[in-house]
Amino acid sequence: MPLTGAQAGYGNDFVTGMRMAVKDVNDAGGIAGRPVELVTLDTQAEPQLGINAVNRLIGVEKMPMVLVAWSSVVKAVAPICNREKVLEINTGANSPEIATLGDYVYTAFPLAEVDITKLAQYVYQTLGKRRAAVLYINNDTGIDAAKLYRDTFTKAGGQVVAFEAYDPKATEFTGMLLKTRAANPDVVHLHGLTADTPQVIAQMRQLGLTQQITTYSAGYNPKLIEQCGPAAEGLIVTSLAPGVQENANVAPFLERWKKEVGRVPNGLPYVQYQYDMIPLAKALYDHVDKKGQPATGDTLRDALVEIRTFDLPMTGKMVIDGHRVNKPVYLLTVKKGAFVPLATLS
Amino acid sequence: MLDPIILAQILWTGIATSAPYVLLTAGFALTLKVTSLWNFAQAGLMAIAFYAMFFCLNVLAWPVFAAIGAAVVLTGAAALAVEVWGLQVLRQRRSGNLTFFIFTLILSEFVIYVITLLFGTEPQTLFKSILSPVAIIGNIAVSDWDKLAVATAAAGLAALWLFMTRTREGQFLVAVADNAKLAELYGISAQRAYRVVAVIAALFIVGAMYLVGSHGGIVPNTPMELVLTAVIATLLGGIGRVFAAAAAAVVLALIQSFSILLIASRWQNLLLYGFLFAAILLFPRGVRVPRLRLAGARR
Amino acid sequence: MEYLSTIGILIAIYVILAASYNLVIGYGGLATVAHPIFFAIGAYVSGLLAIHTSLPPPVTVLVGAACAMLASLLLAASALRVSGDYLLIASLGFQLGLLQLIKNLEFTGGPGGLGGIPATIVGPARTPAYLVIAALLAIATVFAIRALVRGPYGRAITAMRDEELAFTALGRNAMSMKLVIFAIGCGIAGVAGGLYAFYFQYVSPDQFEVLQSAAILTMVVLGGMGTAFGPVVGAVLLLAIPQAITFLQLPPSIMAPMQGIIFTVLVLVFLFLRPAGIMGHAGRRRRTAGLT
Repeated sequence: MPLTGAQAGYGNDFVTGMRMAVKDVNDAGGIAGRPVELVTLDTQAEPQLGINAVNRLIGVEKMPMVLVAWSSVVKAVAPICNREKVLEINTGANSPEIATLGDYVYTAFPLAEVDITKLAQYVYQTLGKRRAAVLYINNDTGIDAAKLYRDTFTKAGGQVVAFEAYDPKATEFTGMLLKTRAANPDVVHLHGLTADTPQVIAQMRQLGLTQQITTYSAGYNPKLIEQCGPAAEGLIVTSLAPGVQENANVAPFLERWKKEVGRVPNGLPYVQYQYDMIPLAKALYDHVDKKGQPATGDTLRDALVEIRTFDLPMTGKMVIDGHRVNKPVYLLTVKKGAFVPLATLS
Repeated sequence: MLDPIILAQILWTGIATSAPYVLLTAGFALTLKVTSLWNFAQAGLMAIAFYAMFFCLNVLAWPVFAAIGAAVVLTGAAALAVEVWGLQVLRQRRSGNLTFFIFTLILSEFVIYVITLLFGTEPQTLFKSILSPVAIIGNIAVSDWDKLAVATAAAGLAALWLFMTRTREGQFLVAVADNAKLAELYGISAQRAYRVVAVIAALFIVGAMYLVGSHGGIVPNTPMELVLTAVIATLLGGIGRVFAAAAAAVVLALIQSFSILLIASRWQNLLLYGFLFAAILLFPRGVRVPRLRLAGARR
Repeated sequence: MEYLSTIGILIAIYVILAASYNLVIGYGGLATVAHPIFFAIGAYVSGLLAIHTSLPPPVTVLVGAACAMLASLLLAASALRVSGDYLLIASLGFQLGLLQLIKNLEFTGGPGGLGGIPATIVGPARTPAYLVIAALLAIATVFAIRALVRGPYGRAITAMRDEELAFTALGRNAMSMKLVIFAIGCGIAGVAGGLYAFYFQYVSPDQFEVLQSAAILTMVVLGGMGTAFGPVVGAVLLLAIPQAITFLQLPPSIMAPMQGIIFTVLVLVFLFLRPAGIMGHAGRRRRTAGLT
């Protein structure tokens, strides 16, 4: 997990979520009567450090299973896990490539095709938009998602009138936005990161682009509303985890978080997944234990495939479909300065 | 896309967005001119300026002018410290270029690490909102930030020009830039000139970081990227030509902005480096624009 | 054990990088900062060749190194025409510009990096085999460079670096010597890149940014610029210490910047108090290579 570096805000919260789950599991008796211990290592979301960390977890701590997030790290450590027969579970990255990284690489987090395709279809069918502009950050996340959105939207019958990538370090988007404005879209899908998304939205509104804006879960962040103010009204974001209204466990979890950490989590839906990784792991270990097998990468992987359907406290039902996972997509919109649920797509 | 209104909008926003870079380039180029040093330590100063303002505004809840004032004092003090206890020491030792480079680069890295320790790595903005009120003037969106940016850069450059041409202190700077040893013979203190330049650069840095920080998120590593743009503009402007470098900063920004009409936006940054290579290969002395020779004009 | 072996292989790779950088900057006196990009060129070229052709790994690594050499000649020939100072800025621009290009092209894997480099050695003997290969290459590099700078060519290099004017007056060609040194140093970095690509099977453009330049620079400065074994000391320190620190279980939010602070402070202290580095000879008046 990136515990330092630019992504540390998320990484630290991910670990906190897991620790809370570990405490709950241990309070309820642990796994097969033994307490769970969480070993975390800082990857700074960098491939090389991720490799070192995983090597250490496998070689020194003798872990049969690792939980990893951040696409570049997931990809970088895949060869090691495949070689060492260690189960690698992705808990937060969404690059579609993850489904094809190898026999020992699985994901518990829905990859990009889940929320992006459903969003694009919703925009066409329910919102009735026909001309879409796709603006995306020129990195892994953005490129894959933008292509998916474009392909889905055109397949549904729509037209992608603008398809522009921007440099991750850019701060000024006038040219790109004016080009977009000239193409006359009726909806704009923005796929960036937490740092640039507010800037693009703000500049869009300032340049007079009034179209509906959609983005993905990186936009589901209270700080964005703070930074954009009225420019954020009407923004539609996706979330891959049920909210307070859809799942009864979320509200108490949020309260507990606020009490223990003193603020809201960075990326609540992501943190819900992190929490659920522990009960997921427990289910695997229990399964293996019941069969009297030792916990190795192979047995845990087989357990994952055999159990297939998990009922997890924070994110609900999870079905492992080969190296993918299919989940409902929750849409939210910004109304009067706060996120409110809009629709659920399954 | 060649609609005159669109072009005018790109032009205006491009100029406004280039304003902080103009200030940073001016400070960097002035330092290079007078001290003959590519002062990468300015990246560290940029970080100090921004986070000082950030801290005063958001943690101490000071009013804006107090925060800016505090940043000026802190950044100026840091700049002087680097000059007096770092650069001057190396000069006395007759250290090589390499040593100066390593010192300034690593010092910036050190400052950035300390700031990372203190403030973390989440993107921060000076104010809660990055939205600035927009007025439509002649079909072009002009925001308050735009106006402030252009005004600050113009005022800064004008003040610098007046300083360098109309005051004694400023002319001492030019003398030292030309030939430090000769200037000393005339009783001009090179050391004093270096310190004055350090303070001027610090002022420009604070101005620039205020603008950048109120427009978008900053992380501790952002100054390293900012200093790079200053380097390229300085190269294009020509070593020793401060105002040409400032102009180059504007031109670079405009070329990047207008390039959108011809190429995909993701190649915009690559253009910057393309220009760097062109500069190195074709214009090592800077791009020269033929100037009118007026009678009695000074160089 | 895999963990320690991987660290060992990384150390070997960085010894190669630091030693070759030392050749360029310490012995050759060429101020450049772009060493990581030649590392990158070696890694990407051999990785791509491994994925798309069936050339044997040693060949792809050599081709990668050759590409790195070619690129370095291109850079040096253009920049040195102007001045030594220019090389510094030009190298920075070259590094970042080429990285931008890599991030924007599809066949290099773009910003996501180049994955799926085929495994060349399989089975339990893999890691030990790579460790041996890496160690041999590292030792060969260090001793080859040492031999180079101790012989007559080495004296010529020192002469060129310390008194270029006299050197040229005596009829020697400083420019061609600089180009040769630069090419050798960058070519060796390319070899390190190939080695990296094959062992880790994944290369990401983020690994070759300015931070990497600063890391290699730190290794060389701390170890002792212009000494034969300084780079080895530097590489070991800079890789082993952070890993050791992670075992101390300090809170992560202070660990990473703390490491950065420790190393930058060390460099600054050495720069002012002991420019010769750990392996260098103390005292400022020196006839051999190094920092002043």
